[in-house]
Amino acid sequence: MSGTAKNLREVFDSLWKWTVDRLERTTIVVYKFTVPKMYVSPFGYLGTLTAIVFAILGVSGAFLMFYYRPDVELAYLSVREIQEQIPFGFVMRNIHYHASNLMVLLAILHLYYQYFSGRYKIKNEVLWVTGVILGILTILEAYTGYNLIMNQRAMLAVNIGMGLTYSAPVLGPSLAPVFLGGGLFDLVVRFYALHVFILPLLMLLLAVVHFPRALVIDLPVISSVVGVIFIVGGLFPIELGVKFDPTQGLVEVPEWYLTAIYAFLRTGTERFTAGALLPLLFVILFLIIPFVDKSKKLSWRDRPFFTALGVASIVLIVVTTVWGFYVDFSKETPFEQLYIEPTLFYGSIGVMTLASFFVTYRYFGRQRHTVRPTPPRPIILSPRDSTLLMVVLLAFIVTTVAASFYTYTLSLPNHSMFWLGVAFMFLGLLLHVYRHHVNVEQRTRPAQVAEKAAA
Amino acid sequence: MVSRRTYLRGLLGAAVAIVLAPFVNLVAFFYRSDEASAQRQKIANLKELTPGTAVYFAYPKTGDPKIDNDPFRQYVLVMTNEGDLRVYSRVCVHLWCLPTYLPQKGALICPCHGTIYRENDGVAIEGPGAYQPYPTNALPMGVIEVDTNGDIWLVGIEGRIGYGREWQRIAPKDLVKRV
Repeated sequence: MSGTAKNLREVFDSLWKWTVDRLERTTIVVYKFTVPKMYVSPFGYLGTLTAIVFAILGVSGAFLMFYYRPDVELAYLSVREIQEQIPFGFVMRNIHYHASNLMVLLAILHLYYQYFSGRYKIKNEVLWVTGVILGILTILEAYTGYNLIMNQRAMLAVNIGMGLTYSAPVLGPSLAPVFLGGGLFDLVVRFYALHVFILPLLMLLLAVVHFPRALVIDLPVISSVVGVIFIVGGLFPIELGVKFDPTQGLVEVPEWYLTAIYAFLRTGTERFTAGALLPLLFVILFLIIPFVDKSKKLSWRDRPFFTALGVASIVLIVVTTVWGFYVDFSKETPFEQLYIEPTLFYGSIGVMTLASFFVTYRYFGRQRHTVRPTPPRPIILSPRDSTLLMVVLLAFIVTTVAASFYTYTLSLPNHSMFWLGVAFMFLGLLLHVYRHHVNVEQRTRPAQVAEKAAA
Repeated sequence: MVSRRTYLRGLLGAAVAIVLAPFVNLVAFFYRSDEASAQRQKIANLKELTPGTAVYFAYPKTGDPKIDNDPFRQYVLVMTNEGDLRVYSRVCVHLWCLPTYLPQKGALICPCHGTIYRENDGVAIEGPGAYQPYPTNALPMGVIEVDTNGDIWLVGIEGRIGYGREWQRIAPKDLVKRV
């Protein structure tokens, strides 16, 4: 029996070697996949995580494509069918939706981490610029995606988008019909083409240029990220919304990454300036950063001006986003509820942004030579303890997956998703403890061998 | 003196340019032909109309109910209380709801957020649409012809549907022709 197993192992080993030898003729060897032997901060590889979430979106999106109908009348009904009738449809749609939010969030975090650590310097300009463009494409991809449902919220976003395109000087009037076609029946097909093919293709092509050669694949963190998608999907399941009906008015707020632009539009300022030029200025600021900040200094502590600029930009995003969500329900009509007083709006963002800039600048201008805090002492578990912990974690996983199954049979798909998410979190922890176990064992083995030899 | 190499490069460039020339107008692919060229469509006859009446219809009409029901193809022919003929796009310039004609108010009223459009020129005078800057505060208008039989024909659209119309540029009465 053990002989067969050994032979089988040899066959697999030689098959693996055979494949790897031949893969060396392909471009895959360009990438250096690193599976870290110990915990490293995920901030360093947020880009890889974004790409992994993009892959999750690709897979879940492919599932949705089997049932989604890009048709002005049927789109909403087909999404409802996916949500309510198709087995796993609810789960797939939730994964797809929450992964899209997570991808936008991770991309923003990735941008700011790279910004504050000065990674756009030292021959990284191409990486940086392609990254900013990828960020914009990510938002466009998310935007075209959530409009495919053709509910009231989607149509609000389409309306704003088309209004912005129309109001663009010179090109606008001829550009808008490219997306709108002969009406909404054309628009839904064009948005679908953009969402499932054109934009992802552009993103993949750009990613080829954007990816650094070293990619960190950290399984515990990836498992946790999947867990987060499931848990958030379970806690805040995506709703269908109300089917678009041109005779019904509703107060809707767009997705969180668009509410900042929405806030600008709600002040009644000229549409193109508010909704396109100001955000464009913001993007251009990020695009030109590597060509403005020419110093060799990388740390945010040594670059008080750019650190202050980064902090101010975050404050700007947060303040405008909060304004975007603000609805004054004390007013009577939806229009009055959504109206934002321009002086108050521009005044508040002006004051907050400038204040945060100067406070940060002064603070870091003075504290340029702060001592790095000493990292906390690592917890080291003995092999026996870690084995025990892994058994306990396995028990948790079994329990949570069982809970997930059970709640699914009770037709509570969101509970089911939540428990599966918790299981993924435990799996991440288990993978982490396993890695720790292997490390500790390797570290103590030479000592044990020496002890035995001495005895 | 042009060198032989430069000459040959120019030749090569010219060859590539000529082969690609047929694709110059590829951008036309993105526009439907019925959008680009105005289509003549009979809406109603003068005999059927009295001041303060409206006829709702789709334009350009295709016979495909899905396309004909699209909000962006919904129009209304109004005979105003003064007896003038006007054709408006029904897509509210605010959030794309479909306003209806109320003769007693002499206006088109949007069911969603209450934008009120004057029957005479389609300019929003009340509600969210009225707060939008020019030219996004007026409904697009149809260009109409009335022939000797009293048939009313829609021959084109002035303005951008769902967006607005430069109503200070062309007076509404200039969009109605008697032939």
